Amino acid sequence: MAHDSTITERPPGQTAGSMPGPIIKVDGLRKRYGAVQVLHGVSFTIGRGELFGLLGTNGAGKTTTVEILQGLRTADAGAVRVLGLDPAVSGDRLRRRIGAQLQDAALPDRMRVGEALRLFASFHPSPRPLDELAEEWHLGTLWRRPFGALSGGERQRLSVALALVGRPSLVFLDELTQNLDPMGRRRTWDVVRRVRDGGTTVVLVTHDVEEAERLCDHIVVMDKGRVVADGTPESIVRSLGGITTVSFTDADLDVAPLRHLPGVSRVDRHGIEVRVAGTGPLLAHVGAHLVAMDRPPLDLRANLPSLEDRFVALTEEGNAS
Amino acid sequence: MTAIRVPAPLTLSRNGLVRTTLRLTGAELRLLLREPMVAVGLIGFPLATVLVLAGVFGQAPDPEFGGAAPSDHYLAGYVGVVLAALGLITIPVHLATHRELGVLRRFRSSGLSAGVLVATELALGVVLGTVAVAVVLLAGTAIYGLRMPADPVGVVGWYVAGLVCFTAIGVAIGSLVPSGRSANALGNLVFVPMFLLGGGGPPRAVMTSAMQSLSDVLPLSHLIGGIRLSWLGMTDDPHSLWWPLAVAAVAVAVAVLTARRRAD
Repeated sequence: MAHDSTITERPPGQTAGSMPGPIIKVDGLRKRYGAVQVLHGVSFTIGRGELFGLLGTNGAGKTTTVEILQGLRTADAGAVRVLGLDPAVSGDRLRRRIGAQLQDAALPDRMRVGEALRLFASFHPSPRPLDELAEEWHLGTLWRRPFGALSGGERQRLSVALALVGRPSLVFLDELTQNLDPMGRRRTWDVVRRVRDGGTTVVLVTHDVEEAERLCDHIVVMDKGRVVADGTPESIVRSLGGITTVSFTDADLDVAPLRHLPGVSRVDRHGIEVRVAGTGPLLAHVGAHLVAMDRPPLDLRANLPSLEDRFVALTEEGNAS
Repeated sequence: MTAIRVPAPLTLSRNGLVRTTLRLTGAELRLLLREPMVAVGLIGFPLATVLVLAGVFGQAPDPEFGGAAPSDHYLAGYVGVVLAALGLITIPVHLATHRELGVLRRFRSSGLSAGVLVATELALGVVLGTVAVAVVLLAGTAIYGLRMPADPVGVVGWYVAGLVCFTAIGVAIGSLVPSGRSANALGNLVFVPMFLLGGGGPPRAVMTSAMQSLSDVLPLSHLIGGIRLSWLGMTDDPHSLWWPLAVAAVAVAVAVLTARRRAD
């Protein structure tokens, strides 16, 4: 695939969310920092109620894109509508209606967790109950602790709680689980799903493929300032061509007959390991062949295509071009 | 956990914006109370300097000081020096450090306008400046005595003009510089010569004509000149009220435009 080509599995304007109509519409976004063009005509649409993932490697242009969506930066060209507003014109008004957990944003070191929650709650007309929020994000025991004394994970949890305190209809979460341990990560994912289930549209900015695959119902993959894939995780994986790899170990097997099995496109031997790539029920065909040959292996396994495979393929295509 | 009280919500009305500004100012003041070195830095230099100068030159009327007692000359004038230290060092460092750490970004992402953030710094300046001036004057009066102002209303008027001028300069510098360290370096670079030539150092009578010409364009010279005129009834320093006010207007415009453009 050419570097600037896009996989679009849904018709323009159609969304994956439960409610019709886009909550965010981005069309032909361009941004340059000095001599570096960081966005090259980015376009996508996010539906109401979606858990949307903006996925890309570091430097792909994800953070610049969401900063423009929040009116924290202005685009050089292109059109953006968020909640029906132009962020470049109505930034303050827009930001009062959304929640944001940003990279590189912090609080004064001596501000206590409870003070921060109270202060930010006071900016909104109908804030979430703070005790509920504190319990949800495990901040109760940190209530009097200053921001400067919090660990990375604790800061992250406070930041998300501050983003949600105003009951936003749209929330941006940038590298949400970056400093969290595995348990904290999974707990956070559960809460994010609950936020979405409560009707809030979630824009998750991440370079973590597993996170995007597990959480999101709509993903845009960015690479070097371009959208290279747009669809559900399943549709993006399917776009890889449904290639499955079956592997097993057998030092003496003649692998040539494997090439004639249905669906097989490639057979490779790496030492004693044999890898068979192809489409369809490959595991069944290879297994049946090996049994027929009276050489049933103990370690026969299939590697199904994953979003990570597709993500790597897409970004490698970008590097090659 | 017991139920947590949340302050009354804010609206987009003017009252709402004022309440937001006051809440942020209150929060910032609480934070400064936990960081006493900020106050020590703001008050310490002017206080130590004025006590030394007033002690060295004494309390007898002196023609080199326009006929005033040197202690009165310096103590009255150091109202301006405190405000200059606030505006050129304390506020820019505070603001730039907030930006560097991402605090301003956090506030902006919650929908706080650049105007509210600028107004909060101005309000912070008013409180800090008033407290710092009061400490310097009380300490100086307790040690050397200070005569009552000849024109108290004039003193207050000049004080308010100086507060507005230097707080605005502080916010403008803090909006422009990238980090707390650069704010500190730039602030000191501007403050020290302005302090020496603008009325905090040697009296105008002993300056060269080039120094006097430079002194004439410094807002601090006019501020100190105006305060000395109102307090002592005499001054050799320039004292055009429009000058600090014009500088304040330019500084506020620079601060708001910069804050809007940067959006962080």
